[in-house]
Amino acid sequence: MKKLTYFPGCSAHGTSEEFDSTLKLVLKTLDVELEDIPDWNCCGATSAHVMTENLAYALPMRNLVLAEKLENTTMGIACASCYQRMKVTKVHMDENPELAKRINTTVVEEGTYQGKVDVKSMLQYAYEDIGLDIIKSKVTKPLNGLKVACYYGCLLTRPKNITKFDSPEYPVSMDQICEALGATATEFDYKTECCGASFSISNTEVVENLSGQILAMAKESGAHAIVVACPLCQSNLDMRQPDIEKKQGIKYDIPIFYFTQLMALAFGYPIDQLKFPKHIVPVEGALANIGKVEPVPEKVKKPIKAVEAESEVK
Amino acid sequence: MARVGVFVCFCGANIADYVDVPQVVEEVKRIREVKFATEYKYMCSDPGQGMIRDAIVQHKLTSIVVAACSPRMHEKTFRKALSDAGMNPYLLEVANIREHSSWVHQKDKKAATSKAMDLCRMAVAKSIANEQLHEISVPVTKRALVIGGGIAGIQAALDIADARIPVVLVERSPSIGGKMAQLDETFPTLDCAQCILTPKMVDVASHPYIELIPYSEVIELQGFVGNYKVKIRKKASYVNFKTCTGCGACWQKCPVKVPNEYNMGIDKRKAIYTPFPQAVPNKPVIDAEHCTMLLKGKCGICAKVCEKGSIDYTMQDEIIEREIGAVVVATGYDMWDPAPYEEYGVGRFKDIITSLEFERMVSANGPTNGVPVRPSDGKVPKNVVFIKCVGSRDEAKGIEYCSKICCMYTTKHTILLHHKVHDSHAYVFYMDIRAAGKGYEEFVKKAQVDTGTTYLRGRVSKIYRKGDKLMVRGEDAQIGQVVEVEADLVVLATAVSAPKDNPELARMLGISYDKYGYLSEAHPKLRPVETAKAGIFLAGCTQAPKDIPETVSQASACAAKVCGLFAGDTMKKDPMVSTISNEYCSGCQNCVKVCPYGAIVTDEVPIGYGSKELRTVAKINEGVCQGCGSCVAICRSTAITLAGFTDPQIINEIVSI
Repeated sequence: MKKLTYFPGCSAHGTSEEFDSTLKLVLKTLDVELEDIPDWNCCGATSAHVMTENLAYALPMRNLVLAEKLENTTMGIACASCYQRMKVTKVHMDENPELAKRINTTVVEEGTYQGKVDVKSMLQYAYEDIGLDIIKSKVTKPLNGLKVACYYGCLLTRPKNITKFDSPEYPVSMDQICEALGATATEFDYKTECCGASFSISNTEVVENLSGQILAMAKESGAHAIVVACPLCQSNLDMRQPDIEKKQGIKYDIPIFYFTQLMALAFGYPIDQLKFPKHIVPVEGALANIGKVEPVPEKVKKPIKAVEAESEVK
Repeated sequence: MARVGVFVCFCGANIADYVDVPQVVEEVKRIREVKFATEYKYMCSDPGQGMIRDAIVQHKLTSIVVAACSPRMHEKTFRKALSDAGMNPYLLEVANIREHSSWVHQKDKKAATSKAMDLCRMAVAKSIANEQLHEISVPVTKRALVIGGGIAGIQAALDIADARIPVVLVERSPSIGGKMAQLDETFPTLDCAQCILTPKMVDVASHPYIELIPYSEVIELQGFVGNYKVKIRKKASYVNFKTCTGCGACWQKCPVKVPNEYNMGIDKRKAIYTPFPQAVPNKPVIDAEHCTMLLKGKCGICAKVCEKGSIDYTMQDEIIEREIGAVVVATGYDMWDPAPYEEYGVGRFKDIITSLEFERMVSANGPTNGVPVRPSDGKVPKNVVFIKCVGSRDEAKGIEYCSKICCMYTTKHTILLHHKVHDSHAYVFYMDIRAAGKGYEEFVKKAQVDTGTTYLRGRVSKIYRKGDKLMVRGEDAQIGQVVEVEADLVVLATAVSAPKDNPELARMLGISYDKYGYLSEAHPKLRPVETAKAGIFLAGCTQAPKDIPETVSQASACAAKVCGLFAGDTMKKDPMVSTISNEYCSGCQNCVKVCPYGAIVTDEVPIGYGSKELRTVAKINEGVCQGCGSCVAICRSTAITLAGFTDPQIINEIVSI
């Protein structure tokens, strides 16, 4: 049994409750036990880090210091924003001990920051610490026939020198996880475009435009569904989809899954545990593709001379 | 009794503003041996030198101290002034009161003045022990080595050879010609590159004073200016060039296909090949990494079809040596790999190509017969987007510098596109249009009018696919909006980067290189073709990105430098070299180990006068010795003396302060 320190963040207890609960199912199958950080607090996104430097660092640092009291060396974070705040703080503190000392004076009661705990998003944890082979070995109901566009958003792999994970422009980790589950990841060029983020509330039109482009590109890529690892991306693409459809006059019907929901599905958990009723866009249409076999066009074999074939191998 | 003259320079305001020069003069006058001391605004000028010459005669001076700038700047100038007055030039000492005092202590005039006085006192004390020295004559091997057979190497080799000086031209690939041989037309006159280059290539091959050694690499350089020894590794070509007629039967029948480097991998060549039909020498080589006969012992077709029996699968690499007197390094440049531009889909989208790939496509002898095509489906593109500064001027992903040639060749590409595909339209995303050069601005202006190209000032942020098109999203900074252009083909003006092997080459030659890997010139303005090592010169892009006219100019400048070096039968060399006293030398050979120039060897001498028994001692080759003094410091028995820096001189300096 592996242990992992867990920072759920506020959305896991609200809008992305289905991410949180399916993550727990999946990790149960993968033999990982989650340990919540005792008395964790808000990560500071998105208001603190644009207001004051001290608060922007102190809020995540308190969580990091508390996490050091547990024995685990890694902290897994569900929400992309929380991950971003926590990772930036960790990297900046580790690079600049003077700054760490100064910020630490604000959270002096909790203890001294030591930089012992690594910070990873759940996607990174699944990809690096669990690995594709183990994920593949747990699949009992492969998702063959389901085509998905994997959408990473702006925070999970950026900035490159902070996250040091996957590509900042064309990441592939989630694609490979979905392929390990039996699904097909489409070639999707809008993987890291902005969904509009928190403009969802203050200026909905921005989100409708930006998320609308993402939906259009996903459809163009041939995807039945979009897979995400960020609660805000999920809510923008899912919740705003009916408005976008109305505005563009196009029916997308593209459900937005958390990658953990698809993992749980492929690991054989019954549908009623996957919280699909929480989705705005119904999932049934997309899931109906599972098991459908598309006719594969026969490959035309070129006659190749024996010697040439050998040289091509080299 | 020594009679020393001291001349303190103002260097305009450079010294005088921060050092109280008259006070320094008064101070040195108090030294017993100083018989004359004076000051002047510019000691290096003709009146300044005249003061030195006059004083030598008038005051019967026996040594001279000039307190001025660094000896690297004007030591030679003042030595000449001594010579002109009939004095041995090595009786001069320079006290560097500019770089060592006024420039570095600008905030404290008192301290700077005091330090200048110390420096002068030391120089006076040292000069008292100075001895008359005489220049050393070193024989010169009048043969030049040129490394690299691109346009820079070709031009340098031809110019040197035309002066009837033998040249050894070493080229790594099977043919000379370099990057220029891959170009279609050249800016700003649209001369066909092949038409102006290939005659020069033929001249190289047929020139009686040029020894062309293709498919070879320089692996070792020993010696010193005028007397270098170079080792060259001739790679096994598996073809006997002496009997091969270049008929082509072998490469026509060879069954192995390999991506063609000359055409940027757009088409295939064979495992036995000449890089291109106009290659010089026009003899094929076998690519040992792909030949099935060499890899697995199967095939042998080329040997069967060769009527001359020129194929020899047992050929081995060969090391040859040449004695040379000077080196011209002309190793060219690499195209920068745009892989870090992931947001452009580089490597994922087939219809994004680099400028050199586009150049090959539009070339008359290119893989697509001079017509640009989309690599994905072979269709002729209508909308082509050119993106400039891919890698250049990009501190985040690429290189900080401007590659200098991209603005011009992209302009050329819009013209070539317009010529080849009449109903096409070109878009150019640019940061600036840098067209400084003879006829360059006019060329750009004319191209803009003639081709109707749309110039968009801004960076491209993303490229994505839409159907079989590429959507190029960028900023049009002049209207302050994001624009998207639908493209059939995208051409990246990738940066010029230093050859990746340059650092290794520089270490082997003993010259320096900058943080990018470009080889360093001795002075950025006044010695732009020399390196810091005597007898080694730089031509072309190996020093910095430059276009063809500039490259050719620098190559010819190298040739002038080489010819100048070889003008006499011997070369003069400073006499500041070490000598070893056999009486004191114990033969420990520590000096041999520390000498960075390989100037010390061992010798056998009789153990006593008339004795037949021998013992080992160290011996210095004064032609190689650079006078660094490492051997003097390491010698346990103080057997080594460095002329110009003898123990009495150094001790005098130390005692004086």
